[in-house]
Amino acid sequence: MNPKTVLPGIGRWVAIALIASFLVTAGGPWAASGEVALLNVSYDPTRELYQDYNAAFAKYWKEKTGQTVTVRQSHGGSGKQARSVIDGLEADVVTLALAYDVDAIAENARLFPRNWQTRLADNSCPYTSTLVFLVRKGNPKNIKDWGDLARAGISVVTPNPKTSGAARWNYLAAWGWALKNNGNDEARARAFVAAIYKNVPVLDSGARGATTTFIERGIGDVLINWENEVLLAARELGVGKFEMVVPSSTILAEPPVALVDRFADKHGTKAVAQAYLDYLYSPAGQEIAAKHYYRPRDPKVLAQYASQFPKVTLFTIDEMFGGWQKAQKTHFADGGIFDQLYQPGR
Amino acid sequence: MLLRNRFTRFLVSAAAGLTVFVAGAAGSPPLRAEEAAADSKAADEKIDEVDQRVRILERKAELKAEADAEGQKTAGLVGAGKDGFFLKSADGSFILKIRGYLQTDGRAFSSDQVKPVVDTFLIRRARPIVEVTVGKIFDFRIMTDFGEGKTVLQDAYMDARFSPKASLRTGKFKAPVGLERLQSATDNFFVERALPTNLVPNRDIGLELWGGFVDGAISYAVGVFNGVADGGSADADINSTKEVAARVFVLPFKKSGGWAQGLGFGVAGSAGDNDGTLSTPGLSSYKTTGQQTFFSFLNDGKAPGTVLANGSHKRLAPQAYLFVGRFGLLAEWVRSTQKVILGTNRDEIAAKSWQATATFLLTSDKASVKGVGPKHPFDATPRGPGAIELVARAGALSVDEDAFPLFANPTASAQSAREVGAGVNWYLTRNVKFMLDGVRTRFGGGAATGDREDERVLFSRVQISF
Repeated sequence: MNPKTVLPGIGRWVAIALIASFLVTAGGPWAASGEVALLNVSYDPTRELYQDYNAAFAKYWKEKTGQTVTVRQSHGGSGKQARSVIDGLEADVVTLALAYDVDAIAENARLFPRNWQTRLADNSCPYTSTLVFLVRKGNPKNIKDWGDLARAGISVVTPNPKTSGAARWNYLAAWGWALKNNGNDEARARAFVAAIYKNVPVLDSGARGATTTFIERGIGDVLINWENEVLLAARELGVGKFEMVVPSSTILAEPPVALVDRFADKHGTKAVAQAYLDYLYSPAGQEIAAKHYYRPRDPKVLAQYASQFPKVTLFTIDEMFGGWQKAQKTHFADGGIFDQLYQPGR
Repeated sequence: MLLRNRFTRFLVSAAAGLTVFVAGAAGSPPLRAEEAAADSKAADEKIDEVDQRVRILERKAELKAEADAEGQKTAGLVGAGKDGFFLKSADGSFILKIRGYLQTDGRAFSSDQVKPVVDTFLIRRARPIVEVTVGKIFDFRIMTDFGEGKTVLQDAYMDARFSPKASLRTGKFKAPVGLERLQSATDNFFVERALPTNLVPNRDIGLELWGGFVDGAISYAVGVFNGVADGGSADADINSTKEVAARVFVLPFKKSGGWAQGLGFGVAGSAGDNDGTLSTPGLSSYKTTGQQTFFSFLNDGKAPGTVLANGSHKRLAPQAYLFVGRFGLLAEWVRSTQKVILGTNRDEIAAKSWQATATFLLTSDKASVKGVGPKHPFDATPRGPGAIELVARAGALSVDEDAFPLFANPTASAQSAREVGAGVNWYLTRNVKFMLDGVRTRFGGGAATGDREDERVLFSRVQISF
């Protein structure tokens, strides 16, 4: 035996066996697989949408590639979900309520480029929605427009803007309506929104929670929520018990989607995750969105489902507030206007 | 709630209606009926208002409970117990444990007429331990030792626990060979380990694959290491050749219960090439339980008078134990062979050793290779005696006759050592232990004339561990 050999003969083979058996026993990234899993971190009310969408996409992907894809869902208030991803929840894709929350992930966690919104059509928003009211059958409190929400004796249900994307849209919709109807007077808009929040007895963390509070717990006279949530409640969850009220004007909500590059690369799911988002823009994906009361971008599908959506006058966050960055900083950051005017404890 | 509201509403309406009826029967004017109806409506509204308030309170309580539950998921844990102090993330992915142990010993030698040995108290081991888990499956352990006035890095290794069957360890840690060496110093039955520990590696640096099957009934470890001299530890290799060590241990009746549940047996070994130099000969001395050297190879620091390791170094170590109720038995046998050179003389020198240790608990506690956790920890009352254990041991170590006189001085190194010992251990709690044992060692050779003087030592230890 050559004393200069680094390993004795048997030792060399043992070392090779050691490494080989480790690879085989422990598996590891070299293990081939016909199955892949994605995690879609989404906002609160999209459960039913993605349940149907995921099944459709899995069927499509199987037929196209032969690979079985399983999509796990996580739902919650949009802001809360964004923070979870920043803190390490390994989403392959995010489908959140507003661009600011997706920007926060790009900015704080650097999980995908800051120009993420340009990577898909329509600013990475495959469907839109808006914010309307749900009232009890017969509209006993005669609520017709935003101004009625500030009346004394009206109880308003809306989620917490600190955690919920819908809540921030609600707040900005109310503020925007007040500006339009008071000659862009910020002070009067502030007083108006303060009066609304004085009428809010409970702040849920997300849109679905607010729906639960209003419909199942029987709290409040009016629920401000996503158009898709209100249509779902009025037409399916509480048929005959509730009515939708469309205000004179409200805000255009554009919930965006994004590929989380760093986690998708780590999981080896980038191709299927990208295809998952692309499929949202396909006719099949747009039709699923429409069936769940989200306004599709595809003009043909939108025309086909036009009758189910009320006619609304919409303003945008850009025209009324200068965009999400500015709106977030002014209204929803710690110490912002919401923190100043919300008075809990009714 | 709804039912209660409807019933309440019915009562109020009925009361209002009755009032109207009585008033009408009594011939009251129609105006009073309108007032009653208005009162009824006001009462309804009041009931609705109260109902809403109650619902709001209930919903707020519900949301608070949800938020608290959510907070529990992300809140970390801070705790302390018999296994030390720890910080742990809510999902268990990140854990920091602070542990350690302190052993304060006493050694008293008797009948040391020829070569007096100092009786002494000493800090045998003072070992802070930090253990960290990150990402659920990656562990890191670092243990230093400040005992006997020295600072030594004992353990510094990382485990990647990919599955119970296969984990990868890298760093400095105990090589998988000697049974009593692998037992933690806090769990040994005697203050000092027995003679076979002289022949097995202590800590070495390398890479090891380890794991278990059948819920740990079969365990294995196989690794590649720098290679150390018998009984030794090292922080770097003395030559470029490496050593392979492996161990398989079986508890065949672990899952079936019965008296044999605590029976375990296995075999370990190592093989490699070991080449020494004048500054680092690569050979060991063998020590008694009293930590006195009784055998060493010739070494005067010069080439003609220093024996060097020179090639193949192999060890074989069958081992077994049996723990049944209050009784325990542990045994091992080790053979170590090392090729050596002195000048132009070469040979392969073998050393063999064995030991058998028996334990018996006087209290109704369970004997174990991992120490005793008393059922009734000591609390200075008859109800809390702790656990009291009697121990006895016998063993021997012998070196090849071929070592003498060419490679070892027969007047300074004994060719054999045989020991017997007995003692008592008192486990006050899982964390505090008193030990008292005596060991007598007899030698074959090792003196200018006849045999080296017997060594008789009385050991004591106070140990705290967590």
